[in-house]
Amino acid sequence: MSNITLLEAVTQALAYELNHDENIVVFGEDVGKNGGVFRATAGLQKRFGERRVFDSPLAESMIAGLAIGMSAQGLKPVAEFQFMGFIYPAMNQIISHAARLRNRTRGRLHCPLVFRAPFGGGIHAPEHHSESTEALFAHIPGLQVVIPSSPKRAYGLLLAAMRNPDPVIFLEPKRIYRLVKQPVPDDGKALPLGTCFTLKTGEDVTLISWGASMHETMQAAAALEEEGISCEVIDVASIKPLDMNTILTSVEKTGRAVIIHEAAKSGGVGAEISAQIMENSLDALLAPVQRVTGYDVTMPYFELEKYYLPSVLRIKQSVLSIMA
Amino acid sequence: MTIFNLPDLGEGLPDAEIHEWFVKVGDEVTVDQPLVSMETAKAVVDVPCPEAGIIEKLYGKPGDIIQTGAPLVAFVEQKEQAAEDQGTVVGKLEENAHAADDDFIIGSASPNATRVKTTPAARLKAKRLNIDLKTISGTGENNLITLDDIQQAAAKQSIPPEGFEPLRGVRRAMLSSMVQSHQTVVPVSIFDEADVSAWMGKDDITVRIIRAICNAAKHEPALNAWFDTEHSARKCFNEVHLGLAMDNADGLFVPVIHDAQTQSDQALREQINAFKISVQDRTVPAEQLKGSTITLSNFGKFSGRFASPIIVPPSVAILAVGRLYEGVKSCDGTISSCHLLPLSLSFDHRAVTGGEATRFLGAVIESLK
Repeated sequence: MSNITLLEAVTQALAYELNHDENIVVFGEDVGKNGGVFRATAGLQKRFGERRVFDSPLAESMIAGLAIGMSAQGLKPVAEFQFMGFIYPAMNQIISHAARLRNRTRGRLHCPLVFRAPFGGGIHAPEHHSESTEALFAHIPGLQVVIPSSPKRAYGLLLAAMRNPDPVIFLEPKRIYRLVKQPVPDDGKALPLGTCFTLKTGEDVTLISWGASMHETMQAAAALEEEGISCEVIDVASIKPLDMNTILTSVEKTGRAVIIHEAAKSGGVGAEISAQIMENSLDALLAPVQRVTGYDVTMPYFELEKYYLPSVLRIKQSVLSIMA
Repeated sequence: MTIFNLPDLGEGLPDAEIHEWFVKVGDEVTVDQPLVSMETAKAVVDVPCPEAGIIEKLYGKPGDIIQTGAPLVAFVEQKEQAAEDQGTVVGKLEENAHAADDDFIIGSASPNATRVKTTPAARLKAKRLNIDLKTISGTGENNLITLDDIQQAAAKQSIPPEGFEPLRGVRRAMLSSMVQSHQTVVPVSIFDEADVSAWMGKDDITVRIIRAICNAAKHEPALNAWFDTEHSARKCFNEVHLGLAMDNADGLFVPVIHDAQTQSDQALREQINAFKISVQDRTVPAEQLKGSTITLSNFGKFSGRFASPIIVPPSVAILAVGRLYEGVKSCDGTISSCHLLPLSLSFDHRAVTGGEATRFLGAVIESLK
């Protein structure tokens, strides 16, 4: 078993499921012949054929509509949006149909589909290529939103998403697509959806994050540990539904919570987590819940990205501000 | 093949001569490793390697002149990166060759431990009132400790243990003024006796002592003074506002005879008598309990000769008079009996010197002869 990247873990999960479930179909812009803009689907068309893995026209609304129709009739489509910033033309299909077909038909039809999209900034990309708008989807009843932050979790969670009977928005943090390599056994074992992952246990403060920011969060936790502050680190992973039990249990233990996300602050998923901590565990708090996030501005380009993304320094400062 | 051109080795040098090569074709080189020494018009300079790689070609041999900006060294093209197809990616993905295993716990790390359930406001109140939250049980929803619970715990905490009675009123005032004195004043007490045989039985003892204090205060105003701890400053008085320590069943009262130095013996006596009644009745007006510049404690009517009286800030001195007794004195080898009045003077050594205090006490004794 060789070490693979998060990107290769996505490919591995797609290949496993294509191989084991004949209803799986994979498509999107440049997904087939080219193997995807980041090579997430590299080699799949050659291996599984043009009927299972194929290119779509450059029309996001059509990609979503096609997937919804396929899923309602028994297939399990895994459709790729080339970048999260290109997903908005498909919003009507996703919100008005994918999210509510089960409800509308009183359970006669449902949509076992996965919409994959690379998301997040930090790769010096031009406009529309650095979006972190997971909160838009988390707000919609009927959609599940999943964000892996390591090769192992990418593999296990994508398998779970493909086996889920309802629509899953699967957002892949492209900044860490190739950052870390891990051994990921190709055993077809899914990880549970709707569950957080505790990456590190600690006593003094709970750091809550997801996606690429997990990377800086873990670095901040290590640095704080050297200063004698013990951090528990939680990868939310499932943005919707939120596993508040894990978060509350940890926050009730430490008494402090710092939420870190790349998306803009206002109306972000951090606000939802913070609100639920207030509703359920206010009495356990030793300090106000903190958020370290992107700013309420359009995601800047190139060099300015590093000032926008939550840095190790900003996370540390936030923790130190509530340790007194 | 990537080519490294000769950089400007000085300030605007047009060229340089190859002095000696340190590398040859096929060598694997690292960043900053010296490649070649070049002789310029000014000096021999080593040129460091700009990148890691393998040398493919050297443009010249020792003695050759190379123009600034002309090719110096060529490196073999790094083929590895080109080999891996990253697609028509927009932007640049960071890579890390380092592989790490991924340890994580699915869900929660630890079971929900028992904890104190309360609100931040209650927590703050408990901190202020010095209540340990672990010692009280909550009456709110799900055993939540409420603000009321904290308040009740605080009330309970202020009740003394069984058999003890809390100090109240004047006694409580005594407690706080004594504690304040002990925390701030640096007291010294000196003791002596005055022979009062000459007028014993003829004059009013208390009035004579007040006169003696007024007289001594004129000589040593440093003891008839206030001391301001915060500003380390003192204020000496010309007038004597004499605090007269008086005891009753409730505790200690110190009514003040204002401007004692201007009053007649009769006026002093009348005021003392009036104080005796008003202290007994607890009817001393508040303004008569304020403004003392020096205190007299005449405790000797009960028992005890000497004491170490406690100074009450801001004043700096207190004179205590013990029980008058018949003693003996030796004078010029002759022993005779006499009436002696024991005197104890405490002074605040922060504001008063030993010399001032002893001269003050000497003046009191002189006046009592």
